[in-house]
Amino acid sequence: MTNDGGWFDRFVDSLPERGWFKFLSTYVVVPYWVWRDPKPKLPGGPRASAQPSENVQRMMNLIMPLKDSSPIGRAKAALAIAQNVDEIFAGLDNVGTVHTARFLLLDDYICMISVYDGDFSNYIRDFIATIGSVFDEVVSLVEGGDDLIPTTHNVERFIDWVHAHDLFQAPDFPTDLFGLQDTASGRSPDSPPHELRSLPRELILQLNANPNISLGGGYRAYPGFSAAQVRGKFGVGW
Amino acid sequence: MEDPGIAERLVDSLVRPDGSPKKRPVHTIGIGATGSFLASHVARDYCISKHFQGTETPVTVRFSNGSGSAVQHDGWSDVRGMATRFHLDDGTATDLIAMTLPEFFTPTPETFLDFALAAKPAKFSRESPWRKILDMLKLTPPMRDPYPGETVRPDEGAMRFADRNGYAQLAVFQAAAIGAPASYDRASYHAVHTFVITAPDGTRRWVRFTWQPIAGVLDTNPNAPPEDVYLQDKLRERLALAPARFSLMMSIGEIGDAFDDPTRPWPPHRVRVMMGTLTLDTVVKDQEADCERLSFNPGLLTDGIEPSGDLVLRARKDVYEISSKRRGAVPCPFSRSQANDE
Amino acid sequence: MNTEFDSNDLQGNILRGYRRDLVRYLILEVDNPAAARRFLAAAVAGNNDAVPAITREKSWTRKPGFCFNIGLTYEGLRALGTPSDCLATFPTEFVQGMTHRAIKLGDFGTSAPANWAPPFNHPERVHVVASVYANDTPQLDQVQDQVARAFNVLGVRNGYNLEDDKVYFGYVDNISQPRFNRIDDPDQAKVDEPIDPLGTILLGYPTRFEDVLFRVPSPAELGHNGTFNAFRILAQDVAGFERYLDTAADALLRHPDVDQLLAPGEEDRIGAGLDRHGALREIVAAQMCGRWRNGVSYEASPDAAVVPDPRAPKFRTNFDYDRTSRCPAGSHMRRVNPRGGPIVQRIANYTRRLVRRGMSYGPRDVDPRKPENDDQEWGLLGNFIGANLGAQFEAVMCDWLNLGLQDPNITGSNDPLFGANSPESSWFDLTLRNGGTIRLRGFPRFVTTRGGAYLFLPSLPAIRYLSELNG
Repeated sequence: MTNDGGWFDRFVDSLPERGWFKFLSTYVVVPYWVWRDPKPKLPGGPRASAQPSENVQRMMNLIMPLKDSSPIGRAKAALAIAQNVDEIFAGLDNVGTVHTARFLLLDDYICMISVYDGDFSNYIRDFIATIGSVFDEVVSLVEGGDDLIPTTHNVERFIDWVHAHDLFQAPDFPTDLFGLQDTASGRSPDSPPHELRSLPRELILQLNANPNISLGGGYRAYPGFSAAQVRGKFGVGW
Repeated sequence: MEDPGIAERLVDSLVRPDGSPKKRPVHTIGIGATGSFLASHVARDYCISKHFQGTETPVTVRFSNGSGSAVQHDGWSDVRGMATRFHLDDGTATDLIAMTLPEFFTPTPETFLDFALAAKPAKFSRESPWRKILDMLKLTPPMRDPYPGETVRPDEGAMRFADRNGYAQLAVFQAAAIGAPASYDRASYHAVHTFVITAPDGTRRWVRFTWQPIAGVLDTNPNAPPEDVYLQDKLRERLALAPARFSLMMSIGEIGDAFDDPTRPWPPHRVRVMMGTLTLDTVVKDQEADCERLSFNPGLLTDGIEPSGDLVLRARKDVYEISSKRRGAVPCPFSRSQANDE
Repeated sequence: MNTEFDSNDLQGNILRGYRRDLVRYLILEVDNPAAARRFLAAAVAGNNDAVPAITREKSWTRKPGFCFNIGLTYEGLRALGTPSDCLATFPTEFVQGMTHRAIKLGDFGTSAPANWAPPFNHPERVHVVASVYANDTPQLDQVQDQVARAFNVLGVRNGYNLEDDKVYFGYVDNISQPRFNRIDDPDQAKVDEPIDPLGTILLGYPTRFEDVLFRVPSPAELGHNGTFNAFRILAQDVAGFERYLDTAADALLRHPDVDQLLAPGEEDRIGAGLDRHGALREIVAAQMCGRWRNGVSYEASPDAAVVPDPRAPKFRTNFDYDRTSRCPAGSHMRRVNPRGGPIVQRIANYTRRLVRRGMSYGPRDVDPRKPENDDQEWGLLGNFIGANLGAQFEAVMCDWLNLGLQDPNITGSNDPLFGANSPESSWFDLTLRNGGTIRLRGFPRFVTTRGGAYLFLPSLPAIRYLSELNG
């Protein structure tokens, strides 16, 4: 955009792109605000919702730090998944509420990404009951996972642990962040309303508390339908 | 309406110093085009209205800049409008009024009056460099620099209003960064309010409509100097080459959704129905007679579509009529079903 | 795992109902922990005339005058001085409490905790819910006076059994319950549903999920043989329900397929002396519930409520659902207990069983069906008991009772009787003889939550443990 505010104004407008200013922002300004206005980490996974369409095709983005992220450690992880294909398919088909699921090795993490229907803890609990042994193998590769084995005897703790490692899903409407932060801090949401221009700062501070997040609740071609509804309509049984 | 004067006062409140009494008080600069709407093969399962039955319905569309300024500034960041009139085969018509902002500023006519007064375009000055540095240190974005020649704007007043009234925050936040489309047919337009549609089996559904450009959404580069005049030429140019097409998408509301509150958009996970395709092929020849003097009205509905309990939607019907009368436009041809619900 | 089982260690309200005429719930705050602990010590010992004894699970030779039991919230355990490392072993949903789980339970809008009746609108003060069952009010008053000496009584809720085990929508209730391994319950002698493992209802035993054990809070003395209870105060809109049945019957009379719902001339099989409108009302009521109002299962008798012996097990408990069932998949009964019928989550059949104990409340001398009495409230004081609130009560509420995930034909709809409905979005499919359906729409929410709490029901040794805490 043209600027007729004079050289100083043009200089100020260019500050966000200047290396020293970026350095200042990263190492002084943001830490100052983090100190002054710390944000609690926001919980992972989709939020409880009244609407049926919010309760199908929900996303899980489970990011678990590998104990051993060397090529050997990664190979162990790859093998653990490869050796359990039958277990996984039997679970998938009989729990009946999963649209897609996949495992990724990404930097120092093993990730389990899925789209499922219904309540998160029911989904995990039903899977523990069917493929608890696979979960045991996966969490044995993960930092902090040993305490969860066997998962069939640690159902409650495993569900809480998964929930804690599931990525926070940023709200679909940006200004809803205020209310989520209020709730997490034990305040009543948006009363009094926040200063609207503080939203970018609140986002920056939240990304400090939750560096890895899901950007919104995802985009769907046929929202509002469960896996069983899709299977039913295609005539492949559920 | 409970307060008979509110519609008049709303129209008054919208008038801005650089507007024109002969023109619309908002969405002042616009251009008309014609074409047809063809319902999808599932639309009739959801709605009994004539234009959803599968035969081509002629349409007139008016694209507009949201500003009430009578001076054209196409390249400035602004909400754009798309008013569509479906000319039904029995000689009646129904309108669908949409805009690029996915939600409205306030939940009621009374609060909208407060908003319109608070956000009345006012003189403002460029934020000083020192102030900008302070903003950057507070991790808040500086206010936008004025465009060349821009002396009044609603931004500061709207922002102050939103700081006091949480319901206005989403619309004010999104409007502030909405930018300018590369062409009128390269933007999505949202009808914002909830309507109640009736299916052949009598089922009533609470729904919201959105036009999506089939060519895709494309904005101008916000960092490039804005052009004042290009949108109307662009539309003429593009329609001369090929028709512009829009999909009409309809979301179905669910329990707990804001049926009556246009400040709350519905999350993008609702069941979404493809209701039909709009094809625009001709720019209206006599813009003054065949577009500018038309009176579009969000309350002009037809059998099979009713307004929800949304108070703003209900008030807009009167506001548009009053505004149309004041500028001496062709009165809105209210259909039979509308006359009944007076 | 300790699988030794001494029923004498259990509170008596878990495995069976007391079948008394009256109940009183005392909603209590621990304002003097020492006094509360002294009370608990005496209540376990049962040796103090000034303190009601906890009723145990054992068959008595002489019926006691009253039955007395307690459940504690997380805040209550804390108020009594439970150490924080023990508190940390309780499950998250119990720690958070019912109000924090509101949306999952369908408690939004008019049912939202912010709209709950006192004292439940201040959940942090609800520490103990004590229940007193008796056949006369002076007994209840006497126990209440004794309790009030040790606790701050925040609120009192009185309930009673309606005649014939009915609830306020007019259905016979309290029919289908889980029955348990190693528990002899004469009421269920002829029931042919699968026997549930003790881990369904008690902490510390194998569960219906193969190999899965629910965590027993520690120390074992505190957790073992305990269980959890979702205590709910559910207001029933009796007049609204009857009004909707009228509306639905009016619409059905005009429906082209109505004869598939009720063959002409068969009105008498639905109820003696009913006209067509009246019979259609009853069919809608029966399909919504899954039972005729006289308790006969719709699945067992889809074309007639009038059967020779409505109390026979084949009409009440001994049936199953399949793909050709006439009982709608969306009915209340099938949602909360799909039995062995087809469900999407194939591994979950029978895993979400609950024990239900409920009594009615509301003014008894006023007709709830009359619209002029709309300002009064009637309903159900319900207890939904299971070893894991998340795996049982919540799992049923959020995926089955609401949402309807278990069958793609009902997914997206909520329970017609107990669900979170609004006229704009509600729907329910009636089944027809020819396999077709008629979809009903436009019904409101008939049941509104007015209060409730997640409670831990400790064993007798656990109550003794709590009574010996300090702090």
